[in-house]
Amino acid sequence: MSSITNTPARTGRAGASATLAGVSFAFEAGRMAIADASLHVEAGELVCLVGPSGSGKSTILSLLAGLLAPVRGQVLEDGVPVRGPSPSRAVVFQEAALFPWLSLRANVEYPLSLSGVGRRERAARATELLRTVHLARFAASYPHELSGGMRQRGAIARALATDPKVLLMDEPFAALDAQTREILQGEVEQIFLATGKTIVFVTHNVREAVRLGDRVVLMGTRPGRILRTVAIAIERPRAPNDERVHAYVAELSAGIRAEVEKIAREEADDAWVAPRGGVRVDPAFGVGDGI
Amino acid sequence: MAWATASSLAATPLWPTPAGVAEALVAALRDGSLPRALGTSVLRLAVGYALALAGGVALGLALGRSVLVKDLAGPLVLGLSAVPSICWLPLSILWFGLSEAAIQVVVVLGALLPIAVATESAVRQVPPLWVRAARTMGASGLGLLYGVIVPAALPGIVAGAKLGFTFALRSLMAGELLFVSGGLGQLLETGRDLGDPALVLAVVVTIVALGRMLELALFRRLERLVARRWGTDRP
Repeated sequence: MSSITNTPARTGRAGASATLAGVSFAFEAGRMAIADASLHVEAGELVCLVGPSGSGKSTILSLLAGLLAPVRGQVLEDGVPVRGPSPSRAVVFQEAALFPWLSLRANVEYPLSLSGVGRRERAARATELLRTVHLARFAASYPHELSGGMRQRGAIARALATDPKVLLMDEPFAALDAQTREILQGEVEQIFLATGKTIVFVTHNVREAVRLGDRVVLMGTRPGRILRTVAIAIERPRAPNDERVHAYVAELSAGIRAEVEKIAREEADDAWVAPRGGVRVDPAFGVGDGI
Repeated sequence: MAWATASSLAATPLWPTPAGVAEALVAALRDGSLPRALGTSVLRLAVGYALALAGGVALGLALGRSVLVKDLAGPLVLGLSAVPSICWLPLSILWFGLSEAAIQVVVVLGALLPIAVATESAVRQVPPLWVRAARTMGASGLGLLYGVIVPAALPGIVAGAKLGFTFALRSLMAGELLFVSGGLGQLLETGRDLGDPALVLAVVVTIVALGRMLELALFRRLERLVARRWGTDRP
C-alpha cells in the first residue's frame, strides 16, 4: 500500500492502514445502513468520523473492527482483507466496557492473557499502561468504584494492552462532562503522538473531531454514506482553544446542519399531512357553541 | 406466646404446647433418632444438590448460548420444570428399586431444572457490549464462555443456585416422607404413626433450622461478595 508515500514524520511505526473499499452494509435486507463507502486511513493517521445519528459512523467502526462483515466491498488492514475481530484492531466503546468483576489491573491484563502473555510480563505491562493513562494508583479498584472518565481511561489502557496497530474509538467521551472530555482529548492526542498508532475516532461532536483529527470525514444519512473529507491543517500538539479550530467547526457544522435539515424535512413531510394549525371545531359535537 | 396460649386452652394432645415440642426435640436428640435422621438427610442433600448444581449450570449455559440446544431442549425443560419433582418418585422406584439412587433422582430433578432456567436467563441478560468487547480482544468459544459469560452471569447463577437449594430440600423431604429409608422425612412419618404431634413439630423445627443454617452458610457470604464485586448493591 501507499502508506509510506504521503504521511508525516510519525509514519507507520506502530500503525497499520485501514481501508474501506466500496463497502455497503445492511442490518436488514433492503435497508442500507452504509452505501458504497470508501475510505483510506493511512498508517499512523488520526481520522475522525462525524455526522448526525443514523449516518452509520459506529457501523463503519464495527466493520473496521471486524465485528460486522460488509454486504458488498472489502475492509482491509494494511491491504489484507479483514475476516473478523483481531487484537491488532482494538476498540474503545462508548460506555465503559470494562468487566465489573475484574479489578482495573485485571481488566488491562485480560487481553494479554488471551494472547498468551506470561503472568510477570502481564503485570509489568499493565502497570506501565495504567501509568500512561494516570490510573496507576487505582490498579486495585473495581470499575464501579471509578468515575466515568477514569473508566474510559481504563478502557483505553485495556485497548492499548495488546499493542494494536489500529485503535478504533466509538464516541468514547460522549457520556463525559465537558472538562473531563477536554482532558481526555489531550490524552488521546498524546498517546497518538507517542505511539504512532492509527486511530479512527467516531464522534457526533464537531469540535472534538476538529480538535483531534488529521482529517475529518463528514457522514450523511439515509443511507449512511461519506459526504466529504476535510483535512485539518493545525500542527500538533494542538491547543484546545486554537483560533483556527473555529473556522473548521463552522464549515463542518454547516454540512451537518444541512444533513439534519434534510432529515427534518423528510420526516416533516409525513407530519404535515396531519391537521394544519388552529383549533379544529367539529360541528357535529357542537364544540364551541354558546361560548 | 399465641401458640402457648392457644394450645393450653385447647388442652388436647393433638395440639402440642411449645414446651411439649421442646421436650420431644430433646428426647429425639437423646435417643439418637433425630441425629441419625439428620445425618442421613444432610448427606443425601449434599450429594443430590451437588449433582443438580453441576448439571443445572451446565444445562443452563448450553440453553443460553446454543440455539440448537435451546430449540431441542428448551420446551422440554420448561415443561418439566412445571412438574413437582416428587411425581418422579414412582417411576424412579420402578427403575432403581428402594435405593439411594431412587430418592436422589427426585432431589436432583427438583433442583436441577430451576437452576438451569435461572442460569439460562442470566446468560441471556449478559450485556452484549461485554461480549463484543471480549471478541475484539480475541476471545472466542470456551474462553469467551468461562472468561466472560460465566462471570458476567454469576449474580443470576448464584440466585438460581440458592433457589435450587430450597427446591432440593423440599424434594428430599417429600421423597423421604413417601419412601421408607431413614432421614428427617421418615421421622415425620414415624411421628404420625405414633400419634405424636409433638415429635412431628420437633422435626419440622429441625427442618426449618437446617434449611436456614445451610442457606446462610452457603449463600449469605457468596451473595454479598458478588453484590459488592459486581457493584449490584449500588443504585
